[in-house]
Order: sequence, then structure tokens, then C-alpha cells
Amino acid sequence: MGTDDVPLDDKAKRMRDLLSSFYSPDPSSTPNAPSKHGTLDAINTTSFDPDQYMNLLVQKSNLEALLKRHVEMAAEIKNLDTDLQMLVYENYNKFISATDSIKRMKSNIVGMEANMGQLLDKIMSVQSRSDGVNTSLFEKREHIEKLHRTRNLLRKVQFIYDLPARLGKCIKSEAYADAVKFYTGAMPIFKAYGDSSFQDCKRASEDAVAIIVKNLQGKLFSDSESIQARAEAAVLLKQLDFPVDNLQAKLLEKLEQSLWDLQLKTDEIENVSMDSNDPSKQGKVSDLSPTTAHEASVREFAEAIRAYRIIFPDSGRQLITLAQDLVINHFETTEQYVKRRISSANLLGVLRTIWADVLLMDEVLHEAVLPDFSLEAAQGAVKKYVASTFTYLLQDISDVLLRVNVSPKEAAEEHPLQVALEASRKAVLQGSMDVLLDFCQFLDDDLGLLVKLRDFIIDWVQEGFQGFLSALDDRFLLLSGRKNSSSPDQGLTEGAHSEKVLAGLVLVLAQLSIFIEQTVIPRITEEIAASFSGGGARGIENGPAFVPGEICRIFRSAGEKLLHHYVNMRTQRVSALLRKRFSTPNWVKHKEPREVHMFVDLFLQELKAIGIEVKQILPQGLLRKHWRSDSNGSTTSSRSNPLRDDKMSRSNTQRARSQLLETHLAKLFKQKVEIFTKVEYTQESVVTTIVKLCLKSLQEFVRLQTFNRSGFQQIQLDIQFLRTPLKEIVEDEAVIDFLLDEVIVAASERCLDPTPLEPPILDRLIQAKLAKLKEQNPITP
Amino acid sequence: MQGGSSGIGYGLKYQARCISDVKADTDHTSFITGTLSLREENEVHLIRLSSGGTELICEGLFSHPNEIWDLSSCPFDQRIFSTVFSTGESYGAAIWQIPELYGQLNSPQLERIASLDAHVGKINCVLWWPSGRHDKLISIDDENLFLWSLDCSKKAAQVQSKESSGMLHYLSGGAWDPHDVNAVAATCESSVQFWDLRTMKKTSAIERAHIRNANYDMKKKHILVTAEDESGIHIWDLRKPKIPVKELPGHTHWTWAVTCNPEYDGLILSAGTDSTVNLWLAPISAGDEPNSEA
Repeated sequence: MGTDDVPLDDKAKRMRDLLSSFYSPDPSSTPNAPSKHGTLDAINTTSFDPDQYMNLLVQKSNLEALLKRHVEMAAEIKNLDTDLQMLVYENYNKFISATDSIKRMKSNIVGMEANMGQLLDKIMSVQSRSDGVNTSLFEKREHIEKLHRTRNLLRKVQFIYDLPARLGKCIKSEAYADAVKFYTGAMPIFKAYGDSSFQDCKRASEDAVAIIVKNLQGKLFSDSESIQARAEAAVLLKQLDFPVDNLQAKLLEKLEQSLWDLQLKTDEIENVSMDSNDPSKQGKVSDLSPTTAHEASVREFAEAIRAYRIIFPDSGRQLITLAQDLVINHFETTEQYVKRRISSANLLGVLRTIWADVLLMDEVLHEAVLPDFSLEAAQGAVKKYVASTFTYLLQDISDVLLRVNVSPKEAAEEHPLQVALEASRKAVLQGSMDVLLDFCQFLDDDLGLLVKLRDFIIDWVQEGFQGFLSALDDRFLLLSGRKNSSSPDQGLTEGAHSEKVLAGLVLVLAQLSIFIEQTVIPRITEEIAASFSGGGARGIENGPAFVPGEICRIFRSAGEKLLHHYVNMRTQRVSALLRKRFSTPNWVKHKEPREVHMFVDLFLQELKAIGIEVKQILPQGLLRKHWRSDSNGSTTSSRSNPLRDDKMSRSNTQRARSQLLETHLAKLFKQKVEIFTKVEYTQESVVTTIVKLCLKSLQEFVRLQTFNRSGFQQIQLDIQFLRTPLKEIVEDEAVIDFLLDEVIVAASERCLDPTPLEPPILDRLIQAKLAKLKEQNPITP
Repeated sequence: MQGGSSGIGYGLKYQARCISDVKADTDHTSFITGTLSLREENEVHLIRLSSGGTELICEGLFSHPNEIWDLSSCPFDQRIFSTVFSTGESYGAAIWQIPELYGQLNSPQLERIASLDAHVGKINCVLWWPSGRHDKLISIDDENLFLWSLDCSKKAAQVQSKESSGMLHYLSGGAWDPHDVNAVAATCESSVQFWDLRTMKKTSAIERAHIRNANYDMKKKHILVTAEDESGIHIWDLRKPKIPVKELPGHTHWTWAVTCNPEYDGLILSAGTDSTVNLWLAPISAGDEPNSEA
């Protein structure tokens, strides 16, 4: 638009608006606004209402403004007129030039039609000529083509006829690849015409090919050929449609065969290494040769695998299983081997061999991840080894302990229990140390397999000790018969029938527990800290596998339990004796006492037996002949002593009534003398405890009976006799005195007529008994 | 004879071997006990815990002709109890009734309802059915088990049936199953025997030596607690008589008597010849609390 060039003043702007509104497709979009607003600008809109405009103008403006407006408007109108004129003029010019161009085009087109007609004629003539040439040459061309085909055919026939000879030549020069190429080339023809025209040819060449196949197979299987040659042979065979799978299977079979050979060799090596570990045959030469032989055969096997892989590149999976089978077999034999009793050096030897094998195989067959695979397997084997070692140790120790049951019967050893204790101590301590040393070898070895397993081994050893010691505790309890014999392993309690020996065994076990707690566990802890620390495979939250504190606690309580058990067993025997003594006779119709009853002898015999056992096992305590319970009110007990002694001396002679009063008085102090004290690990403490318990039982048995005078006197006599020998073996005389007095008091309480024996008679009877004992003494030492 | 430092005490004149709670007295906590004195005048004491629980009061004091070896209170009549007594040479058992008391304690005579006089040997105990009114009684002597039918109003007791325990089995005591009126456990030297009272035949046995005392759990069926000389206290499930369910260490010397708390599960009281009474909490681990002297 020409108006665009006009500087953008008010006028120009309005004009452009005007024009755009004129050209705009929808003129109704703007009209309403001005009428509504009624402004003076509405003059440019289509809905311009002159009357309204005038009214608005008149209303809004003063005269001066109106005049000014008038002048402006007049100028504007004039301008608009000129603009309009210019527009019309420009458009007219353009129209004229357009008319001129149309006129020129019309004149140019005339005359073109004639030229086109000429062109068509010429093209037609060219076509007809070319057709002519074509037809004239056709025959000759046909002929040439025919000749050409014949020639090709003849060449092929020639090739076929030559084929057998050519194949023969190839066989001679071992150019099997060419031969195969020729034969496969000729194959389609043979397929088409083999039965008719080329029969002879086909037969001859097939024969040749058969030779080739045979040669190739031979090549494939011969180990002397290079691997490349063998691989080529395999490829060629494949090209000849020979069933290669079959071959592959055969070859694989061969490999498996050699695998079995290898395995046998592993076994041999174990045997040999076992032999070589015998001190008699400790020769390095015998150790070396089988190992190297084995290594060589493994190397061979690895080579075979390498060849096989190259020959049959797609057979990886089978080979992997094969190799893994080998490793599995190795470890199976190892685990079998571990079941036998071997030292870790032996196992190390085996593992070393296996690892060497694995490394060799790994070079060849990397995909099989044999190291990882064997690591897993080795983990199992070593774990089993650790477990079985501990089992054997446990077995050893219980064997040593069970020997206690057997030996005293046959051998007249002086101190069977002491020997047993020493032996079992040694078995536990030495055994544990040996085991630790054994395991140390694993850690010290730098075999790749074991280095990776190091952390595991440390954990296993720690766990193993924890488990072993707990099991040992269980075994102790089982051996002592404290556990219910309904538990599965019955065979171990077979020694439990002979009670006497078992009691000694219990004592041995008690002392052994203490020994373990105080000596063995610190040693083990030390060793473990020295060689088996670390090992984080268990995770920190679980804590260390070996908790010496816990084990110590177990054994301390086991020791106490066993000691108590020993005391109980011994007391029970005496109890049975006493029960028989007191429940059999009719005490109300008892006869005058004539001598000390023989149950006293039996009782003292039992005590002597206990003394012998205890002396062998337990240490001697501090010599405290006049020891009194210091655990409970020692002041009152010492004060009550003279009073009680005083009372006792009289009670033997005085009448019952005053005695009763004194009994009550004594009761006031009864608690002060402590009967049931803690058992300690000394000869005296154990014996004293047993004696105390027996006397207490005696008292209770007495309290259950009713006596006549003679019965009471019999008791009095027996007790009086017991007094001296008991004091000799017991550390606390006061308690024994007290308990014996208690028995007499109880008997007098339960007596219809408690008249004690006169001291002279008592004395005479005791002397008689002593004399009798002396008489027997030379006979029974 | 003398309470522990923290307990309440009650003094008897002579030693006593037995005490029984008076189950039938639901208003008070009462006990009945009898003395064991060979040569003196024996007494039966009826003791009641005062309402404040701070004192033991003697409610009645009765003379008893002989020393008392066993005593048990009738579970349905607080005035009736049974005793086993000995003259020193022979044993007897009787059912007694406490006469009406009119406030005075002047040793009135006990009224003998019936005398269980079919025994020859040493009588060990008389059992009442612990769970309530039942007109039968059991008495056990060394060799025999007697079932009596008791008629309190007619003051008569008759032997209903009798069975010998068999040779070489000396019975020492027993317990009547509170859950089954026909089942009785009898302790003997080497086992606990279980009897069916309808047939008077042995049904089963727990083989265990030296059992002193046995007691059924009042709450749970099939649970029996036994006390043994040396090896403490065992809890048995009668359906599995081979192995004890639980083992408690017992006392430092013999464990003499054992009883289950009738209200609270797993509370077991035991008395031993080491002059202690231990209270056990058995279902959870054992916690003992030596309490007072017997």
C-alpha cells in the first residue's frame, strides 16, 4: 500500500485503519464500541452516526474548540480527497501494463503448431529404421548364444570327468580343502545326473571322497597333528555333510575317558601322599614323581580341551560341565578323604594339586569360572575338614575318658583316676593346640585358594572351637549320666553300668572342667588372638564366633554341677545303705547291743573309697582342722560350741526329761552351725560334704523310726564308734560332732525309754570292735 | 517351731510332722496341725491367720491320744479332719470332728467319728478327694490301699475295697487326682503307681526311685509334681511318664514335701530336711525364695 510510506502521524494512522477496516473480512467486529462509548474518535468506524457525533461535539466543546475542529476537519477532508485520487491513478497504470503483456503473448503463440507437426514425423521415421536393423541381426544373435551355452556345458562335463583324477591328485598332495571345494561344486550335477550318464564318474569321485573323509577323520583324532590342521579337518568334514555331531560326541567321550583316568590318579596321589607322610617312608622322591605325573596328565587334558574348543567352537557348555565335573570329582574325593583322619598337611597337598589343576584348566576354559567354582567346593571341603577335626578331637577326649571305666578292672594300677585325669588333661590341651597348629598351616599357606578362604577359615575355626567346647560340655554331662539317657547317642553311656567307676569318672570330669576353664580356654583364646583374629565374614553385628567368656561360664557351671553330682552319687550309695539298715529291723523289739553294727564298717568303707578317689583327683585344701563355717554367723557358732559340748557330755548320762529341755535349747543354736556349705574343689571339702550329707540322712532316718531302749543304745554305740574315724577324714570336726550328737538326740526323742548305755560298757564294746578291726587288718591291708 | 525373720510365727509345744490347710473354711485362712511326741501328751492345734494377716491365732487346742504322723483336713467340712497316729508300736487312723467351741479353749475332747481300723502295718496317710464333697476316703499303709466310704452322720466308715500293692512294693504315700475322682497316685520305693479306684487296678507307673511326696496340679490336668530324696523336684506330664517335663534342684538335703498352689499357675512350695521351705516359679525358669523354717 502506498499509504505505508507515509510518516505515521495521526492522519495516516486513521487512514490505514480506515483501509484495513474496508478490507477486513468482518466489518462487524468493531462497530459497537464507538456508539456505546460515544467518543469523538468514532468518526472512523463504519457505524458512524453523524447526528450523534455532532451532538456530542456541540455538547462537549466550546465554540473555540468547535471552530478549531472545523478547520481541522476541512483540512482532513481535503487530504483524503487527494489520497483517493492518487490511489485511483496508480491502479489505472497497473491495469494498462497488464493489458499490454496479454497482447504480446497472443502474438507469440501463433506459429508453434506447425513446428510440432514436423517433429512428430521425424521421430516416426527413426523408429521404423531401428526396427529394421533389429530384425536383420536377430538370427545371428540366437546362434551365438546357443554356441556359448554348449561350450559351458562341455566345460562342466570335462570338469566332472576330470574330478576323480583331480581328487586323487589332491589326496596325494593332501590338499583336502581344494578337494572338498571341487567335490561340493560337483555335487549338484551328481545329484541331477548321477544315476544315468555320470555313474562311473560319480562312483570314482565318491570313492575318492571316502578316502578323503577317512583321512580327515584320522587327522582329527590324531593327537600328533597340529590343532589348526585338526580344526580344518573338522570344518571340511562338516562341509562334506559328514555327521560331525557324532564325531564331537566321540571326542567328548574320549575327553571324559581321560577325565576318569585323571580322577583315578587323584586317588593315587592321595594314597601316595598319605604313605609319604608315614614317618617310615618320608621320601621326597616318592612324593614328587606322582605329583608331576599327575600334573603332566592334567596339562595334557587341558591341551585336549583347548584343541576341542578350537575344533568345535560351539561346544563351550559341554566343556564347562566337563571341567566342572572334574572339579566336583576332585572335591568329592577330597571330602571322602577328609572323612578319614588326616592332617592338614595332607589336605593342603591335595588342595594344592587341585588348585594347580584348576589354574591349568582355567587358562584353557576361562568361561567355566573354575576358580570361583572350585572356591565354593573348597569352602565346603575345608569346612567339613574343620568340623571333622573337631569331631575327632571330641572323640579322642571321650575315648580317653571312657578308658577310665575299663582300666581299673583289669590293670592293678595304683591311681587309675589320676592317670585318667592326667591323660584327659593332656588330651584336651594337647589336642586343642594340635588342632590350632594344624589350622595355622592353612592360614600360613599362600595357595590362592586358601588365601581367598582365609576369612572363612578363621571364622570356621572360631566357630568350631565354640561348638567343640559346648559339645565337650554336653559330652561331659552325658558321660556323667546326668543327662537323660534317652538322648540319641546311646553308645557313649555304655560304661555307665559300673557305678563305682562312673562316680570316679564324674569326679575326673569335674576336675577336667575346671582345668579347661582355667587353663585350656585362656590358651586357646591366646592362640586364636595370635593367629586367627580378624575374619569378618560373619559380620560385625554377630560378634566374634568364639566367646571365651561364655565357654568359661559353661565349664565353670559344668564343673560345679559335676562335683555336686559326684557328691550326690556318693551320698546316694550311702543313703541306700542307711535306708536298708533302718527300714529292715523292728526297732521296737530290738535286742541288747552286743557289738558295733556292721553298717558302720560298710559306711567307713564307702568313705575310704571316696577318699581314695578324691585324693587322686582333687588338690589338697588348706589344712584347717578346726575350721568352722565362716559364711554364716561365725561368732554365734563359736559361742554355741562349748555350750553344746557341755550339753552333750551330760545328755549321754542324764535322764530324758532334762535332755528334752536341752534339745530345745540346742535347737535355738541349730542354725548357727552351718551344715550345708558350698563344696570346694579340695579333697577335704568334698569328703566333708559327703559325710555331712550322710549324717544328715542318718539323722532323718532315725527320726522316722521308734526305738526301744536297746535300739537306742545300739544307735548310741554305732555313733560313738563313728566319731573317731570320721573326725580323721573330715576337715570340720565341730560340724561332725554336732551332727553325730543330733543323731543321738533324734534317736532319744524317738525312743520309748531313752536310757543310754553306761560309758564303761560303751567303751568296752568300742574297744572290742577296734580289736577286731586290728585283727582283720593284717589280712586285709 | 519358729518363724523366719520376716514371717509370722506360731509356737507348738512339741515337734510336729504335719500341717494341713482347712480348705472348707472359706472365710478364713486356717490350718490344722498335730504334734509328734512319743512320750508326751499330743495336741491338735487349729490356727487361724488374723484378719490383718499379722498374727496367727490359736482357734482351738485339743488333746490327741497319740503322736500324729499324718493329718489332713476334710475339704468340705471344716470341723472334720483325719489323723494317722502311732503308739510307738502300732499305727492307727481315725476321722475326728472338732466339737462346737463356745469361746473357751479348755482342751475339749475331739469327737472320733470313725476309726479306720482295717490296717495291720504302718499307715502312711489318709487322703480326701481335694476338689470337694465326696463320701470316699483313701488310706494307704505300707502294703495296701483302702477305699473307705464315710458316712459322717452315722459316724461310720466302711472298707469299700482294698488292694494290695503287690510284693516288694512298699507304699509310702499318695495323692488323689483333683480332676478325676477315680485316679490316685501312690508313691512307693521305686515308682509312682497310678490306681483306678473303680477297678482297684494299677493303670500305669512312673519309674523313679526314692519319691517322698507327690502332688497334683489343681489347675492343670495331667500334671504331677514329685519330691525325691536326693534329686530334687520333678514335674511330670502323666501322658509322658518317661521323662520329667521339668526338673528343679530341690533342697540341699532331702526334699520332703511338695505342693502346688491351687490358684496361681506354676507356683510350687517345697519343704526339705535342710530346714527350708522353698517357693518355686516353675513354668518360667526356676526362681526360689527360701522362706521359713518348718
